[in-house]
Amino acid sequence: MKKTKKKLIRALNLKAKAIERLAEGEEETVLAQGGPPNMPQGCTTVFDTGWETNPRPTMPTGNCAPSARDYGGCAGDCWWPAQVPDGLTNHADFDESCPNVARDWRNMKYD
Amino acid sequence: MLKMRGKALGLVGIVAALATAWGRPAQAKDRFYHLGQGMIQVIDGDRDAIVAKIPLRGWTREAAVTSDKKFMYVTASRHLIHKVSLAEDKVVATVDVSGDGWDRFIYGFTMAGDDRTAYAAMMSRTTRDGEAVVGAPVVAQVDLASGKIVRSVEVPWGVARLVTVKGGQQVYAIGKDIYKIDAAGGALKVVETVPMFEKKWNILPFWEYGWESGGLAAANYYTPDIMGLLTVDEKTGDITDIPIQGDPVLAYSVILAPDRKTAYAVMDDLSVIDLENRKYGPVVPLEQGTSYAVNLSSDGKKIYVGSAGASVTIFDAATLKRLKVLQLASDGMDLRRVTF
Repeated sequence: MKKTKKKLIRALNLKAKAIERLAEGEEETVLAQGGPPNMPQGCTTVFDTGWETNPRPTMPTGNCAPSARDYGGCAGDCWWPAQVPDGLTNHADFDESCPNVARDWRNMKYD
Repeated sequence: MLKMRGKALGLVGIVAALATAWGRPAQAKDRFYHLGQGMIQVIDGDRDAIVAKIPLRGWTREAAVTSDKKFMYVTASRHLIHKVSLAEDKVVATVDVSGDGWDRFIYGFTMAGDDRTAYAAMMSRTTRDGEAVVGAPVVAQVDLASGKIVRSVEVPWGVARLVTVKGGQQVYAIGKDIYKIDAAGGALKVVETVPMFEKKWNILPFWEYGWESGGLAAANYYTPDIMGLLTVDEKTGDITDIPIQGDPVLAYSVILAPDRKTAYAVMDDLSVIDLENRKYGPVVPLEQGTSYAVNLSSDGKKIYVGSAGASVTIFDAATLKRLKVLQLASDGMDLRRVTF
């Protein structure tokens, strides 16, 4: 999965390259610990709403999968207002431009 | 005489046969309502096809049906209540529980039994002199024609589900504990607290399928060791705890099969639960991904798994083979069945 992402995503600016270098280091650290990391990885650095911990030993190791499926359920109710639109206060109509997040995510507009 | 008697008996037989045919209910027709973002999509249970799309404002959350099954009330954006005509497949009215300078948010919704009012667990907020003011959480009886609160009672924080029991005599508010509210008198009153928190139960009761399950609402809970099912009999008010032995499966929601010997739970998998032996059965990964909702055809032969993402997957209940995947127009929160 990670190799696939690397092929598709390329760091363009200095900050992105710095994060990439940091991530490479983390990977080596994690591998040195004997295996892939468990969830949660956190959703502040990646577009990943699958924050809930799932202790299963096999893939997918974290909920929800794919993370887009959990987006609407959590955005509206303000579960994670720093990461997704806050549907109770600032972005009550977030769903109008993005009823199907896997399809419409490019239309999302919120601060 | 014998001949006449034979003719009479024959006539009685014909009349009886006709009466039986007329009296027999037409074959039950299932319709599934996918509570989505800005819409409800309707699935015909015979063809397992999407047959209608009901636009509405907001992101849907909960639903309740009138006793005559003519209308479904659907909460959206936590403060709107849409009245949906199930015959016309359209929203015919909408009320907003916010007003009078207060924002109100519904977390728990159930019909009151009179088809004119509903109970809603609500949190509220306003501003006063530039400062935020948070109201006490309440369970309120709401007039569905106006959205106005008829009466209310304060409850502890954390209520997320309401179940009307004993024909509207009581309402159970499910949160950290279960609060039994007497609704029969002039004022709503919390008359009993059934502990869950002290038993280390952790519950997210956003989903229960009481009306699809013959009036037995069920939600799964977790302790540090096991998963169990909490059931509420809407007719008697009886609360039952069904602990399931073994490593718990992870599930958002659970539904009981018509024979009540089996339950199905979903999150990232479809998990079968043997209720007679209180243990887990087969587990099938959900290829479409995480799902919030699980429902059944009225005969229990098909399992419908969906919401969260924009799909509904239909399984054969006997074999757990995937029969069909419906791609929907929107993500969603729940999938409810009404049988006509």
